[in-house]
Amino acid sequence: MAAAPSRPFDYLESLPGTVFFKLYQQPSTALAIFRRMLPDLAKCFVMALLYLKDPIPAVDLEIWVKSESLKERDSALSILGRLHILSNTTTADNVRAYMVTNPFAASLRQALTGAEQTQSFGVLSRTSDEGSTSIGSLDEYARRQWEGVLGYMVGTSGLGIQRDANLSKGVKQLLQAGHLVEIRDRRVEITQDGFAFVLQDVGTQVWHILILYVESAEAIGMDSVEVLSFIFLLSSLELGKSYEKRHLTSNQLRTLTDLADFGIVYQSSPEAGQFYPTRLATTLTSDSSALSNPISGTLSGPGGGSNQPGSGFIIIETNYRLYAYTSSPLQISLIALFTTLKYRFPNLVTGKITRQSIRRAIEMGITADQIISYLATHAHPQMRKHNVSRSTSNQTGIPPSVLPPTVVDQIRLWQLERDRVKATAGFLFKDFVSLAEYEAPCRYAEEIGVLIWKSDRKRMFFVTRHEQVAAFLRNRK
Amino acid sequence: MPRAVRGVLIECDPSVKAIILKYDEERHDYIVEDLDDDRHLVIKESQLQNLKLRLGRELDEKVMQPEESESE
Repeated sequence: MAAAPSRPFDYLESLPGTVFFKLYQQPSTALAIFRRMLPDLAKCFVMALLYLKDPIPAVDLEIWVKSESLKERDSALSILGRLHILSNTTTADNVRAYMVTNPFAASLRQALTGAEQTQSFGVLSRTSDEGSTSIGSLDEYARRQWEGVLGYMVGTSGLGIQRDANLSKGVKQLLQAGHLVEIRDRRVEITQDGFAFVLQDVGTQVWHILILYVESAEAIGMDSVEVLSFIFLLSSLELGKSYEKRHLTSNQLRTLTDLADFGIVYQSSPEAGQFYPTRLATTLTSDSSALSNPISGTLSGPGGGSNQPGSGFIIIETNYRLYAYTSSPLQISLIALFTTLKYRFPNLVTGKITRQSIRRAIEMGITADQIISYLATHAHPQMRKHNVSRSTSNQTGIPPSVLPPTVVDQIRLWQLERDRVKATAGFLFKDFVSLAEYEAPCRYAEEIGVLIWKSDRKRMFFVTRHEQVAAFLRNRK
Repeated sequence: MPRAVRGVLIECDPSVKAIILKYDEERHDYIVEDLDDDRHLVIKESQLQNLKLRLGRELDEKVMQPEESESE
């Protein structure tokens, strides 16, 4: 899973080099980037070069990799370059060479071998005043807060279900600033981005939120680099241990309080002398994250019930009836977004997917594909089993779906009903005198990939961008 | 002398195109260019939202929907 194209990676990549320079001053950041963001081959390169004093000629490094793995090598080198870890230099006799850049190399060496007293990995608290908090209760806290955030987004309160996590104003503002929810008529409404968000696994969600937080940090007068490196620090802490707050700067303390609202860290009160990272923080930069951890187990599965990862709970019949074996308010309100719910039992809700319910969802900006992927991810094991026997009759190259094909098709058709016209903004070129005059720019537009529509008979064509085509026409005069 | 005109290319069913043509007859304020096949035309960018709304409303009224039985 390491270094799969991910949101944190995309975000980091977009930062300027000077930010990296500041980030890599911290050993915890260097280590976090090293273990989470790099593919295995890139890790090999970094480890091999880490203690070299002089640049290594590019040819020497390149022969380490067999010729059939050139693709992996290039992608590893490109990732290292984009994260400003490896730099292209030249050796003394002017040969192209690689070198691990400096703040990163020094920090990673320090992280690996230790150094004199640093606070980069947090300072363990020695005094346990309130009797240490157990891992179980930290998980419970993290789960409650995070489910509260998701619940707020999908509007569990609208169903008349009590909420036990109290969300601060900052959390709500952040969700709004990230366009995950919108406030319409003083009611919270989930956006299309928000719907995609709640369907992701917990690890991805946490990163998404953290990046939003970092991006908004500047606006409330904090240094985004400081916040980001603090997040990397948190990710390297140990679950179940408490850490001193004395050594933190005022901005870091502020971040800490904000992150406590999300359940990423726990402190018994904002004035407490120490804090605990929860599993949401400690799994941020480790590979052993999402699936196997109990938080996402209870979040994505039926609440509290079976903790088995990936066990679905939704059954859909070909007559559009839906049965969901869950008692989680969050899941129920997610399902309610696109289903007309009918009955609720202690461990089961039933409903029907109707034209109205799908249209309602689509009007909110949810797409048919998002609904289908949600249903498919959470399909009950019985549906999967049932489907294995049928999937041999696989028609027209469509991959066998766990969902009844009629339902999937109908959801798509209901969406199409809403979009009867396909609109593309752009420019219409017309009034060409001769066919020859028309043909050349038309072909050019097609080549550069801006052509949408053309008619040879009317000598007109439609493009999304006109600058290049216009320049082309001018040059031919 | 070739010209470029800004607009929005609409791709739709012939039936929907007929409706748009009908709208345009009222005040000629939608269409930039009728592209003479059954499925395409270019309209003014400013009218796109308006058109979508109007189409949605009209089609909801006119298109027959099978009765949805709420019985279980």
